[in-house]
Amino acid sequence: MMIEALIAVALIGALVTFMAPNRIAGKLAFAISLVPAALSIWMFTAFDGSGNALLDGTLAFESHLEWIQLGEYSISWFVGVDGISLPLVVLTTILTSLAIMSSWTPIDDRESQFYGLILFIEANLIGVFTALDFFLWFIFWEAVLIPMYLLIGIWGGPRRKYAAIKFFVYTNVASLVMFGAFIALIFGLGDGVTSFALPEIANAMLNGGPEGLFGLEGTTLASVVFIAMFLGFAVKVPVVPFHTWLPDAHVQAPTPASVLLAGVLLKMGTYALLRFNFTMFPDQVEAYAVPIAAIAVISVIYGAMLALAQTDLKRIVAYSSVSSMGYVILGLVAYTQFGVGGATFQMVSHGLISGLMFMAVGVIYNATHTRLVTDMSGMADRMPVAVGILVAGAFGYMGLPLMSGFAAEYFIFFGAFGADFPYAPLFTSLAMFGIVIVAGYLLFALQRAVFGPYELETDYEVSRAPLHDIAPMFVLLGLIIALGVAPDLIFQMITDAVDPILSGGDL
Amino acid sequence: MTVGVEYYVLLSMALFSIGLFGVLTRRNALMFLMSVELMLNAANINLIAFAFYHGNLTGQVFALFAMALAAAEVAVGLGIILVLYRNFRDVDVTVPTTMRW
Amino acid sequence: MEGAFSYAPAIAAFPLAAFVVALTFGKWMPRKGAIAGIAATAGSLLFSLWMLAAVASGEVYHETLYEWTAGEAAGEVGDGIEFTFGILIDPLSALMLVIVSLVAFLVHIFSLGYMNAEGETGLPRYYAGLGLFTFSMLAFVYADNLLMAFMFFELVGLCSYLLIGFWFRTRSAPSAAKKAFLVTRFGDYFFLIGVVAIAATFGTVAFAGDDSFVAAAETAIADGDTLFGFDAQTWVTITGLLVLGGVLGKSAQFPFHTWLPDAMEGPTTVSALIHAATMVAAGVYLVARMFGYYALSPTALAIIAFVGGFTALFAATMGVVKDDIKQVLAYSTISQYGYMMLGLGVGGYVAGVFHLMNHAFFKALLFLGAGAVIILMHHEQDMWKMGGLKEKAPVTYYTFLAGALALAGIIPFSGFWSKDEILYDALIVGLNEPVIMAAYAMGLVAVFFTGFYTFRMVFLTFHGEPRSEAAEDPHPVGWAVKVPLLTLGVLALVAGVANLAPVAKILGVDIVFLEHWLDGEYGAVEGLTYSAYGELLAYETGVIGSEQLTILVAAGLSLLLAFSGAGLAWKLYNVPEPVAHKERLGSARRTIENNYYQDEYQVWLARGFTLPLSRAADRFDQTVIDGSVNGISTASLFGSSWVKRLQTGIVTNYAALIVAGFIALLVFLGVYGGWF
Repeated sequence: MMIEALIAVALIGALVTFMAPNRIAGKLAFAISLVPAALSIWMFTAFDGSGNALLDGTLAFESHLEWIQLGEYSISWFVGVDGISLPLVVLTTILTSLAIMSSWTPIDDRESQFYGLILFIEANLIGVFTALDFFLWFIFWEAVLIPMYLLIGIWGGPRRKYAAIKFFVYTNVASLVMFGAFIALIFGLGDGVTSFALPEIANAMLNGGPEGLFGLEGTTLASVVFIAMFLGFAVKVPVVPFHTWLPDAHVQAPTPASVLLAGVLLKMGTYALLRFNFTMFPDQVEAYAVPIAAIAVISVIYGAMLALAQTDLKRIVAYSSVSSMGYVILGLVAYTQFGVGGATFQMVSHGLISGLMFMAVGVIYNATHTRLVTDMSGMADRMPVAVGILVAGAFGYMGLPLMSGFAAEYFIFFGAFGADFPYAPLFTSLAMFGIVIVAGYLLFALQRAVFGPYELETDYEVSRAPLHDIAPMFVLLGLIIALGVAPDLIFQMITDAVDPILSGGDL
Repeated sequence: MTVGVEYYVLLSMALFSIGLFGVLTRRNALMFLMSVELMLNAANINLIAFAFYHGNLTGQVFALFAMALAAAEVAVGLGIILVLYRNFRDVDVTVPTTMRW
Repeated sequence: MEGAFSYAPAIAAFPLAAFVVALTFGKWMPRKGAIAGIAATAGSLLFSLWMLAAVASGEVYHETLYEWTAGEAAGEVGDGIEFTFGILIDPLSALMLVIVSLVAFLVHIFSLGYMNAEGETGLPRYYAGLGLFTFSMLAFVYADNLLMAFMFFELVGLCSYLLIGFWFRTRSAPSAAKKAFLVTRFGDYFFLIGVVAIAATFGTVAFAGDDSFVAAAETAIADGDTLFGFDAQTWVTITGLLVLGGVLGKSAQFPFHTWLPDAMEGPTTVSALIHAATMVAAGVYLVARMFGYYALSPTALAIIAFVGGFTALFAATMGVVKDDIKQVLAYSTISQYGYMMLGLGVGGYVAGVFHLMNHAFFKALLFLGAGAVIILMHHEQDMWKMGGLKEKAPVTYYTFLAGALALAGIIPFSGFWSKDEILYDALIVGLNEPVIMAAYAMGLVAVFFTGFYTFRMVFLTFHGEPRSEAAEDPHPVGWAVKVPLLTLGVLALVAGVANLAPVAKILGVDIVFLEHWLDGEYGAVEGLTYSAYGELLAYETGVIGSEQLTILVAAGLSLLLAFSGAGLAWKLYNVPEPVAHKERLGSARRTIENNYYQDEYQVWLARGFTLPLSRAADRFDQTVIDGSVNGISTASLFGSSWVKRLQTGIVTNYAALIVAGFIALLVFLGVYGGWF
């Protein structure tokens, strides 16, 4: 019942915060959000599962209740965590708490609604990472969009409506493609499947696969579904060329929404890719490895090149997220223990680092009211601590050793270099060039914005950031360094859940 | 002496057609509401007639429900018409089109 | 000495603690964190000496301390792979530990006089940076595997970024810091590919032992394996060259040398610590550390030698025309590391390491001396504004002179012995290998330029008449400046005694201590000795006449060139009122003053090529990709603007539509349902 407790606390907390007066909403929401955070950390220490949730692994904190009978198919409340989902749950709860604290300064309008929506997102995100029934999962998956749409659309920047609608429609259309494909797959699997439970579907996929549907052969159907689902999730990740909603959403979104968007929402896409495409379709993964690897490399290099051309700090971080998520795709398609494990590690690591970067940029924005690197100079002079953290975060982004980004990227590169698909070393070496470009654009931005003589093109008085803006960043920095020094804190847990995927469920 | 069910059906058909004619041609919201009432009652007649014909009470019960609903509907409808009049100084249904797009 | 090694982690841990202390409490500490740094590096130095003594007594240490992570991966060695942190203390690393901690210690003391006395702000940040740097470098030195080495190699890069950019309120320092990090990162990109490739190929990244990648590579070559579609020999060459990318970046070898002169934007103490004695040494040290691997590939070695020889000459010519004292030293650093690469590339493992050690001492000395000069001159760095400091600052002068003599390679100063050994090793190999011969020739010519620019610097700075007010009335320097200078001055003079190879060979006396040391006569890890490397090397050596004659020819040639370079400088610049002689260079002058346009093309690559390319990508993204996304929405909106006209808002129309639809449906069902 732990997972139910997590979701329930966040949901009830959301309702309570909605009704609370604006004055105390921020503190109240933070206090409430500490409960899921503490619970999930306790779950992390008490985790006793093993194997993969979809492939006959032992689930931790499992609960399974029959819910709806839909024709021949039953839908159930089926949740549980394994080594892949638990780190992401912990990431979600911690990042939510920190995001709430970091919004005390910038959010000064309709606070109770804002914090209520954040808690509502948290509940749904936990649901996405723990649900093991397709229907249940899809409900959470879609429900995440609504509060994020509102957060961008109400508290966002000048072009918030455009960004919010683009975000919502784009990702929703993608979900539709994916949903249709998956339902077709379930029908294609025929009588072998009697519920929407993901383990059952995964089992059926690995033991025979679909029989065929609408006159399509079973293997053809599997390929079509694989491609459709890949496209559906690719928008969420996002993968080039489906990435254009991301910079708009990030630039317009308020800082805490950006933190959650980059930190957790993007991971929904890669998490789903791992759970669906890369667990259920091993043959298709092998068949399409080269094009997917090419897409990954393009995402990495192209995303980094775009970041190089930006002058808005948030846009820089947004495009570099595209680049970083390209590494995840590369790790997944490598289909080795280090590749897939590293990809999962990178989800967590990038969640922490991009969260940190957005917070740091947000703190500077709170003081200067500009994010353009051309408008400011020498911010380190006035905000030494905030800038120090920004620099540390930037180096984390560049994959500095002993920070989690290096561990993640190294695992991915190592896993991909020895992968079985053709030209794997070549693809890996090309993708690795991203580490040079990322250093280029981040250092370039730092040089212009935070170093040099102090100058600022706005009329605002710049002062040091308050403690509650700085504290969340220190927590994130601590976590980043901890994971960089001791990746085994979560990596062994992850590989334990990844191994059954690679062996096709035969463990 | 019993009247054949087909006459009831004819009656309700006629009533319904009158109501439909009213809905399609009138622009006055009050006339509109009355026409809708006519159509609703045409359905009621059908329900009662067939209940009588089949010899059970289900249709009659439903007719009672429909009448209660109709009363509620009239109340809401009249309320809308009042608001309409207050806002547009008119009860012509073609005037308020602001909510179309 | 049994227990000595269990304290080895403390060597790196002390400066790390100093980093934390200086960063968190430095503001409130007396001397702003300097004391913590001095105490920590003193501790490191003592422990390093203890390690050195332990190795001298025949012990070595190779221990895995911490498992970073482990997992499954196919490789030559076993099924799984472990990535660990471990300590490898053998003669090479013990020696290097002492060098690094000694230089770091002296630089910390010097900083008291250079930074604290000048009332700098941000001193805690400075000492924290020094502490972090010392930690990274020491951990890099005794890393027992390639991944750990890479990790600390990168951290060293971070520290150089932080310290070069110490004066971040200026425009130039952050720019130089960025350039240093970017250029070395570009090299590290290749290094990382190399690490990943070696790990993926052999399933191990250990430097030493039976399951090291060196041993695995040797077996693979012996077995004639095919690795990643190449035969083992080629693959070893490829991976070796990839790792070499990182070396070229950090050791500022052509074409990655451009960052180092710019890095002189940092405080001079930082230049001494990072850009002379230790960080730049990291690259060369790495080649020495995995010398067994390079020894397997003659191609890689030849490339190392050629790049080294070329860089030695190339940088030396640029040093000739510089006016800033630190710039001259910067180019001399690049040039000297070229010699080390040349030495290692021709298989002269001992010679390369010997020069690494000597250079660390005399270059740290020269930089600290330059720092002292800068204090004397009230922060003036232009040599044309100096002059006549000889009488006013004798300690600085004589120690600086010792360093200069060592740099120029004048007998009997330390630099002569090691440089001569490198050139001798290059010559005997070069007699059979034309490529090496070319590298040797370049190295030899560079000796002349070295002598010239070194003494041009000495004469312009210290001799003649004072040419500015500051030079007439120098600012005094304190003990904190003098003590490090004297220590290093003595070392620059006598360090050559460690390996008097030419004397030993001619007189037949056994005075090649360093060679014995590195050959494991005291204690060594198996396979990491000079003679073990010698067996792997595929070089043929030749002699001119006899061995003695060859030695004499090599030493005589280099001494002659060094003296003639110094002599030319003496003639031109050791006058009361020296004038610039650059015009005599004619058309070459502009090219050399612009550093052969190396900066220009690299800046063009970044600014003129990559940036416009990224802007073009951005335009493409905004117009084509985002344009098509927005295009879809525009098309939908346009379509709906027509369809929406159906929605009149008049309820009568809707009712009519419903009725019409109902009738149409009835007719449809009637026709197809068979009512009619």
